[in-house]
Amino acid sequence: MTPAGSLLIATSLHKTYGHTPALDSADFSIHPGEVVAVMGPSGSGKSTLLHCLAGIVKPDSGSVHYNGRELTAMSDAERSGLRRGEFGFVFQFGQLVPELSCVENVALPLRLNGTKRKEAETRASAWMERLEVADVAHKRPGEVSGGQGQRVAVARSLVTGPRVLFADEPTGALDSLNGERVMELLTEAARESRTAVVLVTHEARVAAYSDREVVVRDGKARDMAGVR
Amino acid sequence: MSGQDAPAKESRSRVSIARWAADLAMGGRFAVTGGRESWARTIMTAVGVGLGVALLLLASAVPTMYQQRNERGDARSALSFGNAKVKPGPDTLQLANAGTDYRDQDITGMVMAPDGKGTPPVPPGIDRIPAAGEMWVSPALKKLLDSDEGKLLRDRFPYRTIGVIGDSGLTGPTEFTYYAGISQKAFDNVRSQYHIDHWGSEKKGEDKPLDPALLLLIIVGCVVLLLPVLIFIATAARFGGERRDRRLAALRLVGADIHMTRRIAAGESLFGSLLGLAVGTGLFLLGRELASGVDIWGISFFASDIVPSAPLALVIAAAVPASAVMVTLIALRGIAIEPLGVVRNAKPKRRRLWWRLLLPLLGMALLLPLAGGFGAGGGSGSNTKAYQAAAGAVLLLIGITALLPWVVEAVVERFGGRGSVPWQLATRRLQLSSGTASRAVSGITVAVAGALALQMLFASVEAQDREDTGQDPHRAQLIANVPVSNGAQAHDAFARYRATKGVKDLLGVTEDYISDVRHSKDDPTSVPEEAITVADCPTLRELVRITSCKNGEVFLVDSPSYYGEGEGFAKPGAKVNLAYRDDGTPDLRKKKLWTIPDSATKVKPRKDPVGSERTGIFATPGAFDIADLPDPGASAMIRLDPKVPDGVEYVRNTSVALSPAMDVMRLSSTAQSDEFTVIRKALFIGATATLLLIGASMIVTTLEQLRERKRLLSVLVAFGTRRTTLSWSVLWQTAVPVVLGLALSIAGGLALGVMLLKMVGQPLAVDWTGLATMTGIGGGVILLVTLVSLPPLWRMMRPGGLRTE
Repeated sequence: MTPAGSLLIATSLHKTYGHTPALDSADFSIHPGEVVAVMGPSGSGKSTLLHCLAGIVKPDSGSVHYNGRELTAMSDAERSGLRRGEFGFVFQFGQLVPELSCVENVALPLRLNGTKRKEAETRASAWMERLEVADVAHKRPGEVSGGQGQRVAVARSLVTGPRVLFADEPTGALDSLNGERVMELLTEAARESRTAVVLVTHEARVAAYSDREVVVRDGKARDMAGVR
Repeated sequence: MSGQDAPAKESRSRVSIARWAADLAMGGRFAVTGGRESWARTIMTAVGVGLGVALLLLASAVPTMYQQRNERGDARSALSFGNAKVKPGPDTLQLANAGTDYRDQDITGMVMAPDGKGTPPVPPGIDRIPAAGEMWVSPALKKLLDSDEGKLLRDRFPYRTIGVIGDSGLTGPTEFTYYAGISQKAFDNVRSQYHIDHWGSEKKGEDKPLDPALLLLIIVGCVVLLLPVLIFIATAARFGGERRDRRLAALRLVGADIHMTRRIAAGESLFGSLLGLAVGTGLFLLGRELASGVDIWGISFFASDIVPSAPLALVIAAAVPASAVMVTLIALRGIAIEPLGVVRNAKPKRRRLWWRLLLPLLGMALLLPLAGGFGAGGGSGSNTKAYQAAAGAVLLLIGITALLPWVVEAVVERFGGRGSVPWQLATRRLQLSSGTASRAVSGITVAVAGALALQMLFASVEAQDREDTGQDPHRAQLIANVPVSNGAQAHDAFARYRATKGVKDLLGVTEDYISDVRHSKDDPTSVPEEAITVADCPTLRELVRITSCKNGEVFLVDSPSYYGEGEGFAKPGAKVNLAYRDDGTPDLRKKKLWTIPDSATKVKPRKDPVGSERTGIFATPGAFDIADLPDPGASAMIRLDPKVPDGVEYVRNTSVALSPAMDVMRLSSTAQSDEFTVIRKALFIGATATLLLIGASMIVTTLEQLRERKRLLSVLVAFGTRRTTLSWSVLWQTAVPVVLGLALSIAGGLALGVMLLKMVGQPLAVDWTGLATMTGIGGGVILLVTLVSLPPLWRMMRPGGLRTE
């Protein structure tokens, strides 16, 4: 798969934490609507790659182009704005605000973008229905199961209609049945809305939902398109 | 069988004691062995508890401080109540109070001379009676006299310093006092002199009961200052609670049962509070040394005076660790520590209103019967009333703090999900757990409610106290009553004042009494008298309403209080008796007659700069020779030149040169009690300090909450949440409970204030300035907590929190 027509392209990313290199000349690209699994063992640099691609962390060197714009040259406010409007995120755990109800959690990104509460919650409810968690809309995260909570998180990541969804071990804390259901719903919804998904996982079962796999090892990313 | 049971029971109890001890010790170890964070938490608790303990120890030392101070004051008192007047003898001492003021400083002192050649009593703190021209000074006065600041004061003490008064002769280390020796002859120029044959007051056991308003102030003041401290200690004992709970969960995983985890938590808390006890004792000892140099409202204490009462200190030593453990155990009740983590009760039990309302209502019920009757009666009845008032105030104030969590819960529950994202985040957080915030704010509530109530009491008492003196400081700023024995001395005194630096003008009045010559055969004590005032025309214009005045003229003002209009004996052409006996009664045998000139004009009186209306005969020097007055008094009403700094000090120096025990009085249109100003300031400072203390505990609590939510904060940042959004949510999260707490404390404070005013029978008055100030400080605390929380909040919003490896 070539970078031509790619929505997000990373070239020669280097990132070091203290004396530990996390990324060492890593390259990556993704097309609109594509689901790419980033795989690799623990500590290989998968999450760091995701954080650099999403503009959460600035790489020490290298570039990240999103839709023709250089992410690394953007200010913190610009990157935050991009994350609010064009990107969505799902993490393994600890991502829902415990005080807010599930529907308020899903509506939160919209509200941060200035959408009125009623409208935000209406759109949030629609996504929750789609992800089969409408019944827990008014419960707090502490009152729902892990699988339900993760589906609420997926709904939250998609509610703004992002062009790229970053999912870091989205099923890591779930049993296999719940994990598979979450992945089905996530990839279905993403493909329908032509949202690109960067899926960080170490589970082949989860990676199977992707169109393409990239393996990160010792900070280097290797596209497995040809290998598969 | 029973024989076998007994050792088993004993061994079980031994095991359980050993188990208890081991668990408590393990908790203690956790308090220090958990690395930097663990130490930080323990230190925070220790400092928090320590501050509280230091304040409690200081409060417990107050009775001893005053007792020691009063004992020294009584021991050096020269006044013997109830004793017959001491007649001069070989072993007696002649004395006169010779206190003065220097700038804003009160200086007490005495001039003295032995009456005979025996052994007159020596006051405590000095070795011998100073001879004429010698003086003993307190260390503070010596320092002042030796400094550049005291240069001007040195002229007022024409004595050689022979030593420094020892601690036993001083009430406090910063007291300005002296004992000066003067000659017997110099006492001729001293007005109020007396003789003593011993030092020390004999009024022990005859203390008059305290003014009810003052007693109330003290009672409520103690409650107001100590309750927030207790609340602060309780808050400090919870510092680091969430992290501790997680550690306890880890212990459950390796086999600790619920009881063990509780004992371990108690041990950890016990260690922190015991360390706090040590820190508090250290702070108290340090504060004691520092406090010995502090002068508040002219009162200071020696470090050796500041000794906590032993029973109270024991109670503090036992109660503080016990209450810290109790607070921890109570806090653990609301959570379930399971091996896989800590489960907080998702829906905490709804707070009950009835018992929270019961407390303030009980308080009111205790206070209401005292309305109008506090301080009435005496003996054991007034003691009961004092306890009743204290119990009422405590219940009312505690009731307000007990109501706060309910009010916060009830109010935030109604917020719904409306409003901006920060508002929603804050209110939802409060809805989930408002207890922590309410607990921290409850200290503010007590401090503000109590301070408001006291401010109301002060404002009302002060307003009554601050009455118009009638003095007119625009016409004269100082008044000096000079002891003179004849008119020439009065002339001389006025001339010396006129020549004093800083004196712009002077109204000099020489005055005495004359008696009615027609009652010459009557009892001398019932002979009608009138005042005669001799002064020049410009001065007379300040005393009576006259349009024209020439030297040689005489004016008459009838005294309506004694005689009807025109019925006085001092009439034009009337003869009056100038002669007086040594005992101050008219001399009816050796009369000295003077005839009031026929030209004397009747005029109306005018208030003099001191505010009094003089009556009688007003003569110019050309009409009356002041040398004819047997025992004249001379008053100098002095106008100061505002351009000359320290004019009043120059006048005081001149006064002392005229008479060693003389001081001058400043004129002021209103007499504002310094005491109330100082108490109000102290109250303001105390309340501010309490609010800051509570603010500090709120900062710790907020930071802890933020640290617990580090990962969540990073996730929020990941999907683009602005810093301002989270900053505002912290502000709202602090502001909502504080604002509710302030509202409640204003309501409670006003209620308590009204009750206190009713109890001492004062008119109702709200101190709006005090109310606004306290509210302002409360607002300041909100801002401070938010501002201090922002840098760590922003640090925690860094994406590093997302890293799990």
